[in-house]
Amino acid sequence: MKIIVILLLIISVLFAQESNKEKQYQLGEGTQVADLPLYFGGYFSLNYRNKNSENKYRLNDIALLAYGDYRKISYMAELEFKKFYSLYERDGNYTSQSDTSLHIERLYIDYNFDENYMLRLGKFNSQTGFWNLLPINVLRATTSNPVSTNILFPTFTTGVYASYSSYEEGEFKIDAMLQHNEDLDSTYNNYTMDEHYAIGTSYIEDTLEFKLNIGMFDSYRSNHLTQKLYYTLIALKYEEEAYQIMGELGSQSSKEKVTTMYAGYLQGLYRFTEKHAGVLRFESYDDRVTQKKDNFAIFGYTYRPSYPIALKAEYQLHTLNQDNQFLFSLSVLF
Amino acid sequence: MQFFLQILILSVFSMHTAASEYVVVANQNMHKVSLGQIRALFLKKSSYVGDTKIVPLNLGSRNKIRESFEKKILHFHLSRLKSYWMKQHYLGHRPPISMKSQESIKAFIQKVDGAIGYIELKNVDKNTKILYRWSD
Repeated sequence: MKIIVILLLIISVLFAQESNKEKQYQLGEGTQVADLPLYFGGYFSLNYRNKNSENKYRLNDIALLAYGDYRKISYMAELEFKKFYSLYERDGNYTSQSDTSLHIERLYIDYNFDENYMLRLGKFNSQTGFWNLLPINVLRATTSNPVSTNILFPTFTTGVYASYSSYEEGEFKIDAMLQHNEDLDSTYNNYTMDEHYAIGTSYIEDTLEFKLNIGMFDSYRSNHLTQKLYYTLIALKYEEEAYQIMGELGSQSSKEKVTTMYAGYLQGLYRFTEKHAGVLRFESYDDRVTQKKDNFAIFGYTYRPSYPIALKAEYQLHTLNQDNQFLFSLSVLF
Repeated sequence: MQFFLQILILSVFSMHTAASEYVVVANQNMHKVSLGQIRALFLKKSSYVGDTKIVPLNLGSRNKIRESFEKKILHFHLSRLKSYWMKQHYLGHRPPISMKSQESIKAFIQKVDGAIGYIELKNVDKNTKILYRWSD
């Protein structure tokens, strides 16, 4: 019953947006409630994976966004069904899983002091690297996320974020994240933690962007008890109209030992036309906690009939052969 | 005869090109801003100059002045800018509001401190302050 209600909700939002064409609504840009500082939007994703003779079909990441700004204050709320419905098939046998619990993905308030200083309070994507800032399927280059974005640092932080930005010849930014409390809804954070302290800096000049983040957090990961973990990540992005080259490389350690010797990726994206793009990504990591070391290549292709709708296919070729897989997804931003 | 006609057409085209000069404008109360600040304001990376809240104003999506502004000042073509605003929607930022004409922009910036827009140089009057100037 819940599935039907949610699907009806999504369809009705899409239909409402379609009927708002006279207000120049466009799919992927959300819709304003009257003249209030309140905008609604959302996204969802349908995924297919073939790995080790198992087929997995999943409806996930069904999210609703609400945001707006008034004077110096702005806000963001995102609620999400993360793994709404999954269907597995192996040798003709089907099993399914459903998780209809609604989670708080992001919930924060920003206060802009002036053109340079900003303060954020709440739960937000950790402002680390490039990939983690826009982690949803429809906005990223491939259906899969790089391994490095999942093992080096916490993907979400609940606490305070402060930044200083300067916009002159280039854009310079320095920021800090502080968490000294429980997560606000920790279910889908990659680390369960109650402390996270990090600083970062970035510089953009025309088409080139550089970023450096270092941080520390206190965590349990995959039931392996860890002490305080320290991470460093450097990221570089070069973007022209037709192509983009992006890479991130980092490591993680505790006081006693190296926990992730290195984890990173280098990705090239080429836009053949406005609707068609090809992706080639190389990834490598040496995770000393899970004792897993792998190098692999991802060949991806994306077709966007319009930008907020993405059909993506990718094949992953691993040195650990059992991880070879094919992925396909349909994702929509509305 | 055909040669002279071609020369004439080229001359007229050149004169027209030379005349395509544009300016970013605000009212007389606005502080000076750098090109980097203008870019940040129209991409909604920043919403303030000092502690003045800025309201950036676009012209319609097919307007040739807007196309020039996006290409020369923002360094974006239309398709990449579309994808940029989709990403900003996820981050909770809206694109600048669009005005129907240069006259609408001039009228708006007279009324609202912090409003900035772009118009043709020839349409500047004593009430508008030029913040930045560019040409095709």
